[in-house]
Amino acid sequence: MSLDMVQTKTLLSVRNLTVTLTGEGRDVLKDVSFDLAPRQILSVIGESGSGKTVLARALASWLSEPLAVTGGEILIEGRDLLKDPAYARTLAGREIAYVGGNPAGALDPTMTVGAQLVEKLRAVRPEISAADAREKAIRLLEAVKIPAAERRFHEYPFQYSGGMMQRAMIVDALMSDPALLIADNITQPLDVTVAAQILKLMRELNEDFSTAVLFICSSLPVACDAADEVMVLHDGRVVERQAPDALIDTPQHGYTHKLIEELPTLWAEGRDQAQPQDRDRRAIMSVRGVAKHYETRSASGKALVQAVRNVEFDVFPGDNFGIVGESGCGKSSLMRLLTGLERPDAGSIFFEDENVGEASPKRLRALRRKFQLVLQDPYGSLPPQSAIGAILEEPLKIHAIGNRAERRDRARAAMSEVGLPTDLYDSLPTGLSAGQRQRLNVARAMVLEPRLLIMDETLSALDQTEQGKLLNLFERLQAQHGFTYIFISHDLTMVRQVCSRIAVMYLGETVEVAPNERLFFDPGHPYSRALLSAAPTLEERRYRPEDCLMEGEPPSPIDLPPGCAFAGRCPQAFDRCLTENPRLRSRGGQALAACHLNDPGES
Amino acid sequence: MFLARFLARRLAQGALIVFLVSALIFTLLRVVPGDPVRLMAGGMAPEALIEEIASDMGLRDPIYIQFGRYIGGILQGDLGQSFVRPANGAAVGGASFDDSTRSERAEVWTLIAETAPMTLQLAVLAMAFALLIALPIGIWGGLRPGGWPDRFALYISSVFVSLPNFWLGIVLALLLSVKLKLVPAIGYEGFAYTILPAFVLAIEIAPFIIRTLTVSVAGVMSQSFIDIAAVRGLTRNQIIFRHALKNSSVPLLNLLGVQFSMLLGGVLVIEFIFDYPGLGLLTINAVMQRDFPLIQGIAIVTAAAFVLINIIVDLAATTIDPRLEY
Ligand SMILES: Nc1ncnc2c1ncn2[C@@H]1O[C@H](COP(=O)(O)OP(=O)(O)OP(=O)(O)O)[C@@H](O)[C@H]1O
Ligand code: SF4
Ligand SMILES: [Mg+2]
Repeated sequence: MSLDMVQTKTLLSVRNLTVTLTGEGRDVLKDVSFDLAPRQILSVIGESGSGKTVLARALASWLSEPLAVTGGEILIEGRDLLKDPAYARTLAGREIAYVGGNPAGALDPTMTVGAQLVEKLRAVRPEISAADAREKAIRLLEAVKIPAAERRFHEYPFQYSGGMMQRAMIVDALMSDPALLIADNITQPLDVTVAAQILKLMRELNEDFSTAVLFICSSLPVACDAADEVMVLHDGRVVERQAPDALIDTPQHGYTHKLIEELPTLWAEGRDQAQPQDRDRRAIMSVRGVAKHYETRSASGKALVQAVRNVEFDVFPGDNFGIVGESGCGKSSLMRLLTGLERPDAGSIFFEDENVGEASPKRLRALRRKFQLVLQDPYGSLPPQSAIGAILEEPLKIHAIGNRAERRDRARAAMSEVGLPTDLYDSLPTGLSAGQRQRLNVARAMVLEPRLLIMDETLSALDQTEQGKLLNLFERLQAQHGFTYIFISHDLTMVRQVCSRIAVMYLGETVEVAPNERLFFDPGHPYSRALLSAAPTLEERRYRPEDCLMEGEPPSPIDLPPGCAFAGRCPQAFDRCLTENPRLRSRGGQALAACHLNDPGES
Repeated sequence: MFLARFLARRLAQGALIVFLVSALIFTLLRVVPGDPVRLMAGGMAPEALIEEIASDMGLRDPIYIQFGRYIGGILQGDLGQSFVRPANGAAVGGASFDDSTRSERAEVWTLIAETAPMTLQLAVLAMAFALLIALPIGIWGGLRPGGWPDRFALYISSVFVSLPNFWLGIVLALLLSVKLKLVPAIGYEGFAYTILPAFVLAIEIAPFIIRTLTVSVAGVMSQSFIDIAAVRGLTRNQIIFRHALKNSSVPLLNLLGVQFSMLLGGVLVIEFIFDYPGLGLLTINAVMQRDFPLIQGIAIVTAAAFVLINIIVDLAATTIDPRLEY
């Protein structure tokens, strides 16, 4: 008998749950109690480390060393999962389904997605025949809007994009008609437009399949968007629980208060971001018609991936230049071109009158002193075996700057500038938190006193509070050292806070380049509008997702359509868009956009 | 379609490799000191006769001409004739230089075709024994990294590795064959004669399989899809047998390919000790007798076998893990 058939008021009830880190004896969850009704969607928010994932794992009976439940009850239908592990096992994957934030490694890479969906359903419900399971999998893949579900059923996980994989994992969770779905940060790895689609989907599924959802996430706007009620977790404790509107209007706890207060906004007017726009200045970096393609082998022989095409923009000294776009749009390939790690196939990249794309390797090394890169991944980009001091001194050594004592002084100075305690000089980076690691990365980039810092998704792994702190740090460093920044990011809210001018990329092209205010209040490209409509925010939206974005994902950069690359998802597309690719044109006031609608002859 | 293109590409590459190997062997054999004709004809033969035989056999032509002739023969399936062995059996003694026997010298191809199946039988049995020993130990060790099955796998591998194969071969032959009379050991008069040498070989290669398995099983078990599988509701048996083992089998396959190639090409010591009439023994005799055509023939056939095994392994690996199919 399926649990959701039973008429009860509560599906799940958690009583005084305490989870302890057995090694240190520290409690990670303290006395957590809450109820969840059938069909309800409850969001759980809290800062990084507040215990959200631990809660999710405890509910899914998936805690492992060194974490252990040391008190309380988890009642499903009145039976305690903690006292009855056999019962908990029968529920796992059947009545309680879990979807995590990392869909990439969640399925066996050597089996087709379809086969694994069928395998899972038959593991928890052996009475269902393979044919029925297959039919159900395809139906659900269609329900989560995976295009050509029948064919995708037979594809392997590596043939799925991140967004599709996350949808497949949702299908995996829903295969057994679970009574409870635990969704831990499922939109975090996704692009905003895909995340918006997934949220919409989850709501529909909640109605169609009457599944209760525990929706864990670290972004307040997303949590409020998704749920009937929001529960706030702070330092392992439930500090409040309210309906989204009430939570925003009358937050009870200090942490919630602070979270709402510091929430960055997209549309609030009157920010003093406008930089002195003195157009007589020479551009520090000037990019013209840059293109780069890579060769890959595919099933049908060789194929060209057009990673970057027709990219054009100027960055002026003291600018905070933003480059935004979804994953796979070529941001990181562009970054490699800008830093001279790779050479463009066409076009030019001038850095202070020197063409980076054609500079000799020796010149390039010298130039790199003046522009530095800070990477996305705070974990992978630091050598784990070197002490922090040594990491900071390495670039100085490479460029043969100063003697030992001077290098040491400079490293220490950089550490205190980015807010790392100098007594960490001799320790390894392994003990640092994500925020501290990013500070270290920034310090490493700035010891050479560069002119231009390129930040590739530098903040995307950090939570809201930590992001805010680092942005303040960037601002201070800019005032002191006159840095110019290029921020490469998918996060519009962040870009809105810090950037003076912004380029929007879609499938390798810059489709719009505009000053901050202009982009947000008068976007010149339908794709920019789609991005804005999908950005998570608590404010009243200027653009409604229903009007701005059609279902689907960007086409693959291997077989690009002949006309405008956005035509497949653009609500305003017309005949000409299918045959002719629009070029970047001025819209006045330093704003450029590549869309036929801006052509005086059209519209 | 993929299969056809894959095979065409790999076979072409393989043909090139075999060609290069034969060119290398051919050249090397002609620059090493020692005149095979002198050996064949015997120390007493007059210089003029030796020259005559040599130019008769084309051994005084420039190397590239000899090589061209040789390759031409190979393309027609002719690996030449042994310098030393008569068609009817035992090696020709050094002292006789009776030229009339030349026409009855054994075909290299026949010599190899007679012995290769013996070596193949030995290799397959050795591989089967090795897997029988290594699979349970290796998998178990990989499932409990750091635990005692893992340590057990490590210790037993160390013991196996430190046993010299000739020593183990002799000890086992004395013990099992001479003392206990369980299995025959020396020579070959039936399948039973393969068991002991195969077992010694299995002990030699098992540690590599165990090591590869523990590492790859442990690596796969720590991946997130295995971790998540339990939450998705799969049973432990499904997780281990359907997912973990399948994923760890690719490195194992590669290793097995290499090991099998080694078994085919280089079981010299074991075949020698057990007087097992396989390719290894044939090689040893050919080298000692400076039987150039035979050495060349064996080298080419084993090179071709390596290439084929490699292709089969890669094909099997892409079937298991489609990501490898690029
Ligand atoms: N396997 C583990 N070993 C040791 N400590 C752990 C482990 N898992 C979690 N913790 C600790 O438990 C606390 C809560 O972690 P948890 O992963 O639940 O945070 P979270 O709220 O999910 O954060 P995020 O938003 O970053 O996902 C943290 O202090 C963390 O260091
Ligand atoms: S060119 Fe056409 S398809 Fe492309 S963005 Fe403009 S209106 Fe849409
Ligand atoms: Mg988490």
